[in-house]
Amino acid sequence: MKTKILLSVAGLLVTTAPLWGHHAFGGEFDPNKPVLLKGPVTKVEWVNPHAWIHVEVTKDDGTKEEWMVEGGTPNTLLRRGITRESLKVGTVLVIDGYQARDHSLLRANGRNVTYPDGKKLFLGSSGTGAPTDGSDPTEAPKGRGRGGR
Amino acid sequence: MLLPNRLLTIAAALAGVAVLASLLPARVAGQAPRAAPAAKSAASAKGAVPRLPDGHPDLQGTYDLATLTPVERKAGSPLVLTDEEAVKLEREVAARKNFQAAPIKADRNAPPVGGDGSPGPAGNVGGYNSFWIDSGSRYSTIDGRKRASILIDPPDGRIPQMTPQAQQRLARNVRPTSDQAAREDDPGFEGNGAYDNPERRPLGERCLMGFGSTSGPPVLPNYFYNNLHQIVQTPDAVMILTEMIHDARLVRLNAEHLPKTITKWMGDSVGRWEGDTLVVDTTNFSDKTRFRGATSNLHIVERFTRVDAKTLLYRFTIDDLETWTQAWTGEYTWPVTDELLYEYACHEGNYALGNILRGARLKEANDARKTKQ
Repeated sequence: MKTKILLSVAGLLVTTAPLWGHHAFGGEFDPNKPVLLKGPVTKVEWVNPHAWIHVEVTKDDGTKEEWMVEGGTPNTLLRRGITRESLKVGTVLVIDGYQARDHSLLRANGRNVTYPDGKKLFLGSSGTGAPTDGSDPTEAPKGRGRGGR
Repeated sequence: MLLPNRLLTIAAALAGVAVLASLLPARVAGQAPRAAPAAKSAASAKGAVPRLPDGHPDLQGTYDLATLTPVERKAGSPLVLTDEEAVKLEREVAARKNFQAAPIKADRNAPPVGGDGSPGPAGNVGGYNSFWIDSGSRYSTIDGRKRASILIDPPDGRIPQMTPQAQQRLARNVRPTSDQAAREDDPGFEGNGAYDNPERRPLGERCLMGFGSTSGPPVLPNYFYNNLHQIVQTPDAVMILTEMIHDARLVRLNAEHLPKTITKWMGDSVGRWEGDTLVVDTTNFSDKTRFRGATSNLHIVERFTRVDAKTLLYRFTIDDLETWTQAWTGEYTWPVTDELLYEYACHEGNYALGNILRGARLKEANDARKTKQ
């Protein structure tokens, strides 16, 4: 029971944060088309105003689809030393969100983007993007992005 | 427990609610700030004010405006937070951020059909994870004391009432103003022609200017991300570069305003030195930005004072008697940062606006089909 309450609070926090975001998510995504996507990263569009992570999803019938998942601004991550290279092609992600209102588009918001173990992207797994915790000798120094000043 | 009252307070203040009384005597709007003794001792600890060869303070540098201090404060609360209150509130924010960063259920399901219950412009579908966000973690400090609101005048810390004519004007005009991310009452899709064409969408969504008046004037934090600003200064001009969204405002020093017929999105800014304070006067606004519903007769005076090597004190006074019943003044500090301000090239990758308008056209087509049936 306690876990359920905590999860619901977490959901509320995660979903209230974008209230002041760059655009109206409700105009872009369809509340009646929830999706759960699981698959390897095929491409990362490290662009403003929102980064887009492409993942390959295998459907029940075995066919594959490439979905695009909307995130936030890369600038904030770059200042923490996280770059496009921090999210390797092939990394398996689990994403829950809602599909674009135009259902011909395989696009969704990344309401929650995690690794398969539930850890949040960039926060929970050194070597696949954990920010400057010192355990990954290949990571970029904090605040400088890759390539430095 | 994990949804601190302060978060709600900030949200309420941003949405534009009401109240309260100051413990500190609010400085008279338009009066130059004077460094209090506390500020002087702080200055010596943080280094002397740097100066350019012409003797004026060197305002140059990159500043991180992220703060927990909201524009307004809640009814009945003082301007200054006690140290105990500030520590408690800042710890709550840190705890919330840690909670948001924590792992979630690995084998979770898709979110519920019909939306996840998130309110406002997020439109019931949520947004994205907190790891993308870079909001403030501390309250703004002035003269060594933490501030509960940016507003200092009126002394109750609330934006003055709008005039009846301004309320009528806003009711007629549904175009979003520069400080809006999306209309606060927007359920996500409905609205009075809000999705008819790109020009009806908020300026931030169109990648034209930052939401929350990040570019200014007045320059306000957006409480979300990319709050960096850079100042470049010469004897004749000062440039203020805003990361969110890439706006550069040029302040001409010791110059006259342009003719009234020449208007600009961020207004026409001219500056002069009053002692060690740079005073910037801005008029000649176009009707594109309409800060918080103001008219193009909006008049803004900003004061930039470098109080020590690591801190700039920013103060602004908003005057538009056609919109508010009296002028209002706010102030907060801009701490120097050694972080880099990155380009926010927004338009080229703005798939969102296309998705939003495409969705609106499809909805129109579906509604028309249903009407025929």
